[in-house]
Amino acid sequence: MIELHRVSKVYSVGPVKVPALSDVSLRINKGEFVVLTGASGAGKTTLLRLLYRDDLPSDGDIEVFGYELGRLKHRDVAALRRSIGVVFQDAKLLPVRTVYENVAFVLRVLGTPKREITQRVFDALRVVGLSSRAQAYPAQLSQGEAQRASLARAIVRKPPLLLADEPTGNLDEAMEDEILGVLRDIWAGGTTVVLATHQAYLARALRRRTLTLQSGRLVKDEG
Amino acid sequence: MLGFLIGEAVRDLRRAGRVAVSAIVLITLSLAALGGFWLLSVNLERAVARWRERVRIIVYLKREPAAAEAKALVERVQAVPGVAGVLYIGKAEALASLKQLLGKDASVVAQLPTNPLPASLEVTPAAAAATPEGAGALLERLSTLPEADEVAGSGDWVERLSQWQRLLTTIGLGIGVVLAAAAFLTVTTATTLILHARRAETEIMRLVGATETTIWLPLLLQGTMQGLIGAVLALAALVATHSVVAPRLEPLVNLTLGLPDLAFLPPVSVLALVLTGALLGGMGGWLVRPGREP
Repeated sequence: MIELHRVSKVYSVGPVKVPALSDVSLRINKGEFVVLTGASGAGKTTLLRLLYRDDLPSDGDIEVFGYELGRLKHRDVAALRRSIGVVFQDAKLLPVRTVYENVAFVLRVLGTPKREITQRVFDALRVVGLSSRAQAYPAQLSQGEAQRASLARAIVRKPPLLLADEPTGNLDEAMEDEILGVLRDIWAGGTTVVLATHQAYLARALRRRTLTLQSGRLVKDEG
Repeated sequence: MLGFLIGEAVRDLRRAGRVAVSAIVLITLSLAALGGFWLLSVNLERAVARWRERVRIIVYLKREPAAAEAKALVERVQAVPGVAGVLYIGKAEALASLKQLLGKDASVVAQLPTNPLPASLEVTPAAAAATPEGAGALLERLSTLPEADEVAGSGDWVERLSQWQRLLTTIGLGIGVVLAAAAFLTVTTATTLILHARRAETEIMRLVGATETTIWLPLLLQGTMQGLIGAVLALAALVATHSVVAPRLEPLVNLTLGLPDLAFLPPVSVLALVLTGALLGGMGGWLVRPGREP
């Protein structure tokens, strides 16, 4: 499903070259729940961005769902992303739209028939336990609720792959548990999940395959 | 999908607020100016066309020909390129016309010892020759007739009217283009603001796999909407002005230009104005479309 072969990414800051990933090779199979861990700046976000083709590697090959990302045409980038759900540390909800509208926005963008939208949005909100807050605006949500709304938006298209970049980074312990519970439910529904977190204890608590990055290098693959 | 795109475009227009209103006002002004001059030009063109039909060239003859000679001369002139019709006017007919023209003072003519009026040919130019160049060439050709003493054209002032019409069209276009450029820049400014305001939406759209077309189509649509609203307002202003001003000006126009009424723009011109507005707005929206990803 996902395969990285000797992938490196170097950012240029003026004349200075900053390596973000170095020679990373890995494989993630369909249906896995993988935790990507490492300290801040270890390369987790860079790796996720490469997976949804938000950026290109400086070296090496990446294959996701059979797409070779380095050779992808623009129209195929859109097709690839329709198969991937992404959530971030900040929920990135649209402030002038309600929770329902935020989740429905994704379906409307992709031309989903109107009669299907309501059903699918409420299905997604049910999975994340947010049905009762459908008409709330992001400013009226707690951080945990905002993150759950963001998760609902990511899964409403039922993508086979979910990439979660520090989704619990801003949350307290109770809210962390809520989000991890939702992620587990999504994974149990058949979605492959890649969760990036700097909180090593989360990886231990989840007891799933854990990839550890250190200064851009994959130093451990366990579980 | 279309409903979504239009909904997003309307939302964007609301976001742009006063800048969008400024753009619409400028588009309205530019199209109203363009349409106003166009309206004047259309009516002047009608007047020119009417007067061109009445243009005659008079060939005064050295001497009055005999009836058979006159007939042959008319046939010869009829064959000259650029001639649509020829009417022979003998000395007696010319005098009778003069008497008719003088009306109650016609008795003056009776005092003349002889008829001083020459025989003449009244030549109607063909449509192709009813231009300054065509009429000039025809005058030259008719001057070479051995029977001709003098050739006079009556179309000069029509050409001056035609020149005025062209000048008005040019001024209208000039003003329209300057205002249109200002409107275009305002539309691009409004769209830039919208683009900034909707960067979060754009990011989400890209993230979920929307095509580039879906991403920038709302921007194109809101620009087109600004143009269309401006065009419709300009047309409404033109219709209102025409309906108020035309009835008051028509008697004067009838007297001076011989036009029975002041016409409004033909449907094709109305459509062209609306399309110009839409194009102006659409181009403004299209130019500011977000850049592609790596």
